This record gives sequence, C-alpha cells and structure tokens, in this order.
Amino acid sequence: MATATPSPVPVKLSLFRLFLVYLKVGNLTFGGGDPTMAALQTEMVASRGWISDRAYALVYTLARITPGTNLLAFCAGTAWELLGWPGAIAAVLAMTVPAALLVLWVTAHYATLQVHPFAMAALGGVLAAAVGIMIAAAWQLARPSFSRRSWIQAGIVLAVAVLLSFPGTRIYLTPLRVLGLAALVGLLWEIPA
Amino acid sequence: MKVWLLYLILMKAMLTCFSGPTSLPVVHHDLVEKYHVLSDKQLTTAVAAGRLTPGPFGLYLVSVGYFIDGTPGAIAGFLALITPAFLIIPMLFYLGHRVNKPRIRNAVRVLTLASAGLLLTTTIPLARVAIQGPLTIGIALGTFVLLVFLKRSTIWAIVGGAAAGMLFYLIA
Repeated sequence: MATATPSPVPVKLSLFRLFLVYLKVGNLTFGGGDPTMAALQTEMVASRGWISDRAYALVYTLARITPGTNLLAFCAGTAWELLGWPGAIAAVLAMTVPAALLVLWVTAHYATLQVHPFAMAALGGVLAAAVGIMIAAAWQLARPSFSRRSWIQAGIVLAVAVLLSFPGTRIYLTPLRVLGLAALVGLLWEIPA
Repeated sequence: MKVWLLYLILMKAMLTCFSGPTSLPVVHHDLVEKYHVLSDKQLTTAVAAGRLTPGPFGLYLVSVGYFIDGTPGAIAGFLALITPAFLIIPMLFYLGHRVNKPRIRNAVRVLTLASAGLLLTTTIPLARVAIQGPLTIGIALGTFVLLVFLKRSTIWAIVGGAAAGMLFYLIA
C-alpha cells in the first residue's frame, strides 16, 4: 500500500528485532538480490505478517527503479514501512556492515598475499573468475528483456550501447551519456514485453 | 585524491545505475581512465573481493575505496554504496503507485539493457589483465556456466577459481 506514513506494525516490533532479521537474511543468503528479497518475503510477509502483500509488492517495484543497489533500497523501504527512518537505517546497516568489514579485511591483506607465489596463483584464478562473474552479470541483466516478441529491439539497444561505449572509436560516448541516451530512448520507444 | 571527491565519484556511479554491477563502467571511466588512481587489476580484484561475501555486488566499492585511499576511502565507498538506498523513502512517501506506469517500466528496461552493454565493454580491459592463457580462459568460461546455467552462488566461482589457480601452480 502506498503510504504517507509508515504502515502500522501488527505485532510489537523492536528496532533490535528488526535489525536481527535483516542481519540474518542479509548475511546468510548467498546468490544476490532476488534470493535475498525472496528470503525477506518469507520472513516478513509469509511467516510473521509484518507487511501486507500489497505493501511488499509496492516496495519491490519501487526498489527496481531506485538508483543504486535494488536490494538495499528494498530493505530500506520495507524497514521504513515498519519502523520509519530508524528502521530503514538499521536494516541497511545490518545488511551491509558485516560484509563490508569482510571485504575491507580481504582488500587490506591483498598486499600481503602478493609476496607469496602460491597465493598469487590462487589470486590469478580468482581474477579470471571475476571476469566470468562480470560477463554473467551482463547476461543476467539483459536476459529478461529478450523475449520472442522483443529480441530484435533488445538486441539493437544492447549492440548500440556496446558500440557507443567502445573506447577509441569516433562515436565513443562516456557511460553517463550512453545511460542518458538510453533513458531518453526508453521514454520514447516502447519495447514489447 | 580527496575523500569527499572519491565519495562523490562513487556516488555518481551508484546514482546512474540500477544494480551493483552496472556501476562498474562509470567507476572504470572515472577512476581508471580519467583520474588514473586505480588500475584495471585493482578494479578486477575489488570485484572478486566484493563477491566473497553474501552481500550486494556494490560492496566492491569498499575495496575500490581502500585501494585509493586506505580506510577513509573504504568508508567513502561504503557510504556511496548505502546512500542511494534511502531514495526509496521519498519515493514511497510522495509517489507510491503512480510510478508503476508502463512508460517508466519501459525506460528502466532500456536503461538496464544499455547498462548490460556498458558492462560488457568495461569487462574488456579487465579481461586483458586477468586472462593470461588457457587456464584462465577455462576459469572465466566455467564461472559463466556455473552462474548462468547451473545457478550456483558466486562464492563457488571464487573458491573454484582460487583452487584451480593453486592446483595448476602445484602441477606446473
């Protein structure tokens, strides 16, 4: 439900309890945004009834069009529905702080690893895996737009974005300009679902 | 580079994308190509470090920030990651269901497609650093298959890549 103020919470919910739910789901669910949002849906809608299906669906939709990381916007939105701004801040911190500390630790020890040939061999494999991760991310972003009715239009948009962003060519545009152009095209040219 | 400038650059990258990986082209353009404060190898390492955890993809910004300016840079990266998430609150407050219009959804679809194209282009210079022979080609392809077709978590790709690298080192 679109609300001018956060939804009334059907059960007594403390900030700490909310923090623990996001901490558990956010830091124990591997696989990215969609599995984590599905796990939160189980926790908050199906199991506890904290949020209505309608409010959940609205936050889910809005999170998709909020700039930045959809998952964090989703967490901020659902927690705001429950406990306002303190809830939103607690949820986002619960989702990110433990993982961010782990990333910081790994990066800080990167220089130490560089002096060990065995560790560097492992790192070489990890960097190659990171390339695969990026190509897979591009595939997963583009795939839902390629349906039987839309593959030509989707293919044109994808190919034009690649061509325009290819460094060293005469038609090169910065990523920001490519995105601006895409937003304009998206408002004027409808791609069938 | 000043920490506030780093924060603004990383924020700009996050504000112009609709998911963690799609911020990569802007980060690469600004920090690698324009300001020369980050190398392709560091950016690729940051992506790998970010995927070691179950958190969102955008956590690589913490690693990017650390490579550029140590702990203050990491904090700037972390804040740039989380700040845009709170934009959903004024959207819930003022817009509600009005934003659920076909034209807006279509614009987001085209933006997402363009972001995928930008991500592919950004991967090219990073692949030049990371792909050094048949083993690394195999690891990159194996990762793609693992994530796209077998639907496994990225943590297995990272662990598998590290294991393959170490195994090859022991054998060679």
